[in-house]
Amino acid sequence: MTLFSLARKNIKGNFNNYFVYFVTLVFSMVIYYTFTSLQYSEKIQESIELSDTMSFMFGVSSIILILFVAIFILYSNSFFTRKRKKEVGLYAILGLRKKTIAKMLFYENLVIGIIALVIGIILGTLLSKLFAMILIKLMGSITDVDFGISFLAITQTVIVFMVIILFTSVQGYRLIYRFKLIELFYAEKKGEQIPKVSLISAVIGVLLLVVSYWLILKPFPDEFTTEYLIKNYGIAFVALFIGTHLFFRSVTVYLLRLSQRNKSRYYRGTRIIETSRLLFRIRGNARTFTVIALLSSATICFLGATYSGYYSNEKRTEEVVPFSYSHLSKGPEFDSQVESIIKADHRHPIKAQLDIPVIQVKGILSFQLDYDINPVQLISESTFNKAANALNKDETVSLSRNKAAVIQPRFTEYTKSVFKGENITIQLPQESSKLPFVHMVESNVLPFDYPDFFLVVSNEMFAEIAKKEAPLTYKVYEVENEVTAQATSKKVNKLVGNDFQVSSSFYTEYKQGKEGNAITLFIFGFLGLVFLAATGSIIYFKQLTEANEAKGHYEILRKIGVSRKDIRKSIKKQSLFVFGLPLTVGILHSCVTLYFTSNFMSNLIGINLIVPILTAIVFFVIIYAVYYVLTVNTYNRIVNK
Amino acid sequence: MNIVVEAKQIKKVYGAKGNIFSALEDIDLTVMEGEFVGIMGPSGAGKSTLLNILATIDDPTTGNIVVDGINLTKMNEEQLSAFRRDKLGFLFQDYNLLDTLTVKENIILPLALAKLNIKELERRADEVADKFGIRDILNKYPYQISGGQKQRTAASRAIISKPSLILADEPTGALDSKSATDLLESLKDLNEQDKATILMVTHDAYAASYCNRVLFIKDGKIFTELVKGKRSRKEFFNKVLDVLSALGGGANDVI
Ligand SMILES: Nc1ncnc2c1ncn2[C@@H]1O[C@H](COP(=O)(O)OP(=O)(O)OP(=O)(O)O)[C@@H](O)[C@H]1O
Ligand SMILES: [Mg+2]
Repeated sequence: MTLFSLARKNIKGNFNNYFVYFVTLVFSMVIYYTFTSLQYSEKIQESIELSDTMSFMFGVSSIILILFVAIFILYSNSFFTRKRKKEVGLYAILGLRKKTIAKMLFYENLVIGIIALVIGIILGTLLSKLFAMILIKLMGSITDVDFGISFLAITQTVIVFMVIILFTSVQGYRLIYRFKLIELFYAEKKGEQIPKVSLISAVIGVLLLVVSYWLILKPFPDEFTTEYLIKNYGIAFVALFIGTHLFFRSVTVYLLRLSQRNKSRYYRGTRIIETSRLLFRIRGNARTFTVIALLSSATICFLGATYSGYYSNEKRTEEVVPFSYSHLSKGPEFDSQVESIIKADHRHPIKAQLDIPVIQVKGILSFQLDYDINPVQLISESTFNKAANALNKDETVSLSRNKAAVIQPRFTEYTKSVFKGENITIQLPQESSKLPFVHMVESNVLPFDYPDFFLVVSNEMFAEIAKKEAPLTYKVYEVENEVTAQATSKKVNKLVGNDFQVSSSFYTEYKQGKEGNAITLFIFGFLGLVFLAATGSIIYFKQLTEANEAKGHYEILRKIGVSRKDIRKSIKKQSLFVFGLPLTVGILHSCVTLYFTSNFMSNLIGINLIVPILTAIVFFVIIYAVYYVLTVNTYNRIVNK
Repeated sequence: MNIVVEAKQIKKVYGAKGNIFSALEDIDLTVMEGEFVGIMGPSGAGKSTLLNILATIDDPTTGNIVVDGINLTKMNEEQLSAFRRDKLGFLFQDYNLLDTLTVKENIILPLALAKLNIKELERRADEVADKFGIRDILNKYPYQISGGQKQRTAASRAIISKPSLILADEPTGALDSKSATDLLESLKDLNEQDKATILMVTHDAYAASYCNRVLFIKDGKIFTELVKGKRSRKEFFNKVLDVLSALGGGANDVI
């Protein structure tokens, strides 16, 4: 019998052991291939307007993905090897030469890896079409995905995974040389000792968590420097990391031990069995739990934050570009040219069309404001009210002769109280006039342009100033269903040029935001899915290994008179703990971190994070729930049949 | 005196069509309250199979079993579990202790499962721990104690719920002679003082000599039966050896 065929026989015989590992491999390959094939897809790159950003983001994420996938594969490989140490020891005792065994393990690993690679790429080809459609749907493009095989992606996937497979194969080759025979035999017995309670490390764990939460939740200081950011959140992160580990390692042990104290509860029903089993397993699981909790909280955070960007894109765009089209009037001929383009678009009929006269003047505030206000843009009360009305905002102002209302500068958080009781001095060629602030409104009328300092003044005042300083006139249009006005926006943009820092048409700004957000959302979603599936699988594998080790345990219980139903219940409780604990800690961490992020983000762009965060959490819980059910069923099948 | 076990026409067949193997054939067995019955026979004779069937861990292909007035063949899984918990005590060669529980927790497990109140539970735990002399190892874990101590722990667990029937499958199989004698003495005390009914499978003639009655099984059938009666243990031991050599096959199992 050749070595190769012995290895093949082995794989056949140990199918169950191999299966889990095999699935891990295929899964990683599918994910990676899908990702790279999207990255290289010309169809997708053509169809969007931000392809540079996209390929950059894809590039960075694919590196993260490789790292993650490599770690995941190495982890499950060591897991899988541990299960086989005994078998390898047996070969050695039966008199197979070390070299023969080593070669056998090498080939085995290689064969599994290559088969997995072929299957992975085939499945990946199918799946990448699906994911491409999801991405395009998210971006709101209407391209058809006719998505073939990407040779570039295949080559890259093959190279990356052949390296990983070769590495694990060499590990397999070295297995027999790395351990003494006795170690191979007792491989499965390790880690089964009742953990000691360490009150000190439990207390330190709790303290570290409290400290890190406190650091994260602490309000921002007045001066927000990079140094502060690194120091404060760096310490917070380290404390969170160690605290989480100690939490799983000591605090849970302590709590479980505590629950054993209450004998009349503990000695009642199957609680005694569950508690003691959990106690036994917890040390071995502490590291996994820590990784899972931190990974899931990071994923929820990123997912929540990116989703909220995506989610609030329309709202943000409405703020930045209030009207569907806006442009500076450049004479009747030019204006009517623009108008006729917009009017020609019958699918987006005009709802409102306004002229917005703006006077730019120099102004001096009666107080210190860290915002460059000049030139101040004046608009009249009636213009503001008409514009707000056209945009369906119910803000109106009515001002007596020489009072003024300020429009909150965009991307700032100034409140009414900042302007209350203060005034601004407008400087005109011959004179200057002092206007007290009476109001602050939040509706914007023109696309964003820095500095964004608009002042609403009374109609009389406006007319008076207009005599001395000629106003500029902006033409604005609001059309039905502006989010789809692609063709017209393109034409208008070409004609009017860059009147503002942002695009002059709503659609363009909206679409760019949507695409950018869609890509980040897609990538984080994708990575999140991978992390989620990987962490779920890790718990799943662990539980299954445990189930195989615990067969005898449950057999004894059945002999003593625990019914199958009760055993199932007991398995459910334990699995709930094993899945629920890291997830709960992860969610808690992510809530705290997101609280910080949302403070940070709403400072910047003013968006609401609650819905997107909840969505991300619910999504997480659902996927974990699926894994939970899967685990309970398989566990039950192993020990309770 | 009451009948504790009444098994009639027990048959156990393993395997599917074409490859049928019959492990037990028409076994009849009656055990009275307070009896200490031994079951002997060559390896593969069907002793463990019979015990497992009586223990409701396995079910017979045909036949009828009544334990303590309850017909086992008519019960569903949940009722059987409750029956095992409340009426039966087990003792196995490999102890079957849960390594995640301390000695004490192992012992009280059946009572905890039956949700007995804590006071009574503690009282009984003390009682059996004293009986088997394992008081000072109560807080240790199984991996920290010796084989003999493990078996005494298992025995404590078997009797703590005051079962109607104690089933033991080669309980002394893994013990040295001193530990084996200790255990057998304890079982004898239990039988004589507490009137416990015990059914014990053994390969060891010395262990069998502690019984009131020994059944011999060969090829799934009852071969013969020996009753101790007024004989001394030494005499009974020799009798058992005689039957074993007549039985053949099993003779090499005798030490
Ligand atoms: N699950 C099974 N499937 C098929 N045959 C079985 C099964 N369990 C037991 N047997 C067979 O039934 C016969 C009786 O087995 P049993 O375990 O009762 O023997 P035993 O008398 O206890 O032997 P020992 O003294 O070696 O423990 C044996 O021949 C065994 O091979
Ligand atoms: Mg047997």
